[in-house]
Amino acid sequence: MCYLLRTLTKKQEVDSIIRDTIDKVLVLRFGRASDSACLHLDDVLCKSAREVSKFASVALVDIDSEDVQVYVKYFDITFIPSTIFFFNAHHMKMDSGTADHTKWVGAFHQKQDFIDVVEAIFRGAMKGKLIVNCPLPPERIPKYQLLYKDV
Amino acid sequence: MVRTTVEVEQEETKSDSDSKIQSKKSDKKRKKKSSEFEFCKVCRLNHDQGQRHRYFPNHKKSLSIFFSRFQTKLADVRFFLKNPTLLRPEHASRNRLWCVFCDSDIDELGSSFACSNAINHLASKSHLKNLRHFLWKYGGGMDCIDNFRILEADVAKWEKKCNSLKSGAVSSKEASHGPVLGPSNDIHNELNYVNVNSYTNSSKHSIDSRISSGIMPLQNHTNEYQVSNSGPFEVANAGLYSEDFTSNLPLETYSGTSSLNLNVLKGIQNLTQIFVPEVAGGNVHTGAPPPWFEAVEESQVNVGVQPVLGSFATSSSKSGKSKKLNPKRVGAAWAEKRKMELEMEKRGELVNNECDANWLPNFGRVWQSGSRRESRKEFELEKQKVLKLETQPEEPRLKLKVEIQPEEPIKIQPYISKRMVRLKFPLHCMFSISP
Repeated sequence: MCYLLRTLTKKQEVDSIIRDTIDKVLVLRFGRASDSACLHLDDVLCKSAREVSKFASVALVDIDSEDVQVYVKYFDITFIPSTIFFFNAHHMKMDSGTADHTKWVGAFHQKQDFIDVVEAIFRGAMKGKLIVNCPLPPERIPKYQLLYKDV
Repeated sequence: MVRTTVEVEQEETKSDSDSKIQSKKSDKKRKKKSSEFEFCKVCRLNHDQGQRHRYFPNHKKSLSIFFSRFQTKLADVRFFLKNPTLLRPEHASRNRLWCVFCDSDIDELGSSFACSNAINHLASKSHLKNLRHFLWKYGGGMDCIDNFRILEADVAKWEKKCNSLKSGAVSSKEASHGPVLGPSNDIHNELNYVNVNSYTNSSKHSIDSRISSGIMPLQNHTNEYQVSNSGPFEVANAGLYSEDFTSNLPLETYSGTSSLNLNVLKGIQNLTQIFVPEVAGGNVHTGAPPPWFEAVEESQVNVGVQPVLGSFATSSSKSGKSKKLNPKRVGAAWAEKRKMELEMEKRGELVNNECDANWLPNFGRVWQSGSRRESRKEFELEKQKVLKLETQPEEPRLKLKVEIQPEEPIKIQPYISKRMVRLKFPLHCMFSISP
């Protein structure tokens, strides 16, 4: 799936895509192309990337590459796949009732779920909001537990 | 009598000086008036702000668009400055330039090289003077003066090239009965051209000059028109064209004009009809560049018309879009700044200032309260600590844990979402945080 979307392996590439995506939501998927959940998410992303292309651009980041480790650490990525949203180089948070509001952890169940989330983020960002509520019902949000520093 | 004439002269001079003073006064008045309302040709707007108008953001924006539009035209001229090409009289009417600084139309009627008048004009002193005046009047900085004119050293080089090209063209005309490859190769060798485009141009011109000495001028004209205009559509045209041939012209006339085709024409008729326009432009065997290169070249040959339209469309669409966007949207200031930077980079004015390798976006971390910038600072602090660790590898790790731990438990403030509270999820189910 990963070859259908732009895959970033260098920090500079990530930098430039964050900086140069203007007035659009940037969807960054951190993950590994061989992972099964990642495969599912990539499938959803690449199928809907064209449909949201007017207000969002999607890119994949390979967490195994050495160069992006700084981002993996900075974004506190402990689970893959993790999806992070940016708007005009500002991080967009989403309150989805899970422990982590800084990113979307796990895959989306359907294409429409992803489109709804991106749309909610875009609408919120256009209104000047840095955090938005998740438009999805709780049963479609993947559940997980966060541990602080593996304690 | 003598005295009287002197007196008369004196009176005249007096009256002259009076009239001068009067005219000066009237000038001043005029200036006052003009400072009240004047036309800014960059904004295409009458305004009464006087000199401070040029500092207005709207003016600056339209000035940058204005400059970029003229830059695209100048790029074409510069192309011909680097690769001088012969200009045929049929194309002379299309090859012109409107100099926005001098408000004059520079046409190439009667000039033998493409853009020669334009190049001479852009290097001239009057243009420099007008350019300086323009930059003074409308702002833009004197440092970009060299972007909009051509240095005399370049013109001298260009003239040298032109002269050698002329001699080459003459020799090609003399050897017009030889194969196509011969003269064009000579030009290639003489000038040591690196650029493939110029090579094709020169070869094409040599062919055309040969053809124009041929029999049917009208038919040649259409032929050239098609070749010069249609890069990618050549095949479609070829069909139409070959029909014309079969209906109107006997085969011999055409084969007389191009010696290369002769052998092929005698063989199979259908194939030659398709090949006709291609041979005029050169093909794989003559070493001509493929059609997708030619398409680029044609767009450069048609000076000015298309790029201007394109830039108009983009600018209008941009302005329409920016009107829609909410000025309070997230990162609006960033977006505007970045857009300007990208625009500048596109024009090549700004040297590409890459962000440094340590750049990070603002990011609100999971276990962090406070603004997003703070969490970036925190991360940078952490990184520095890690770096220190690596530099002191012999230190026992336990010590470090002791150092770090007392600071951090205070910071643990996971975001408790309103939604979770609303849905009455038990907190301890979702989190397993160490106290």
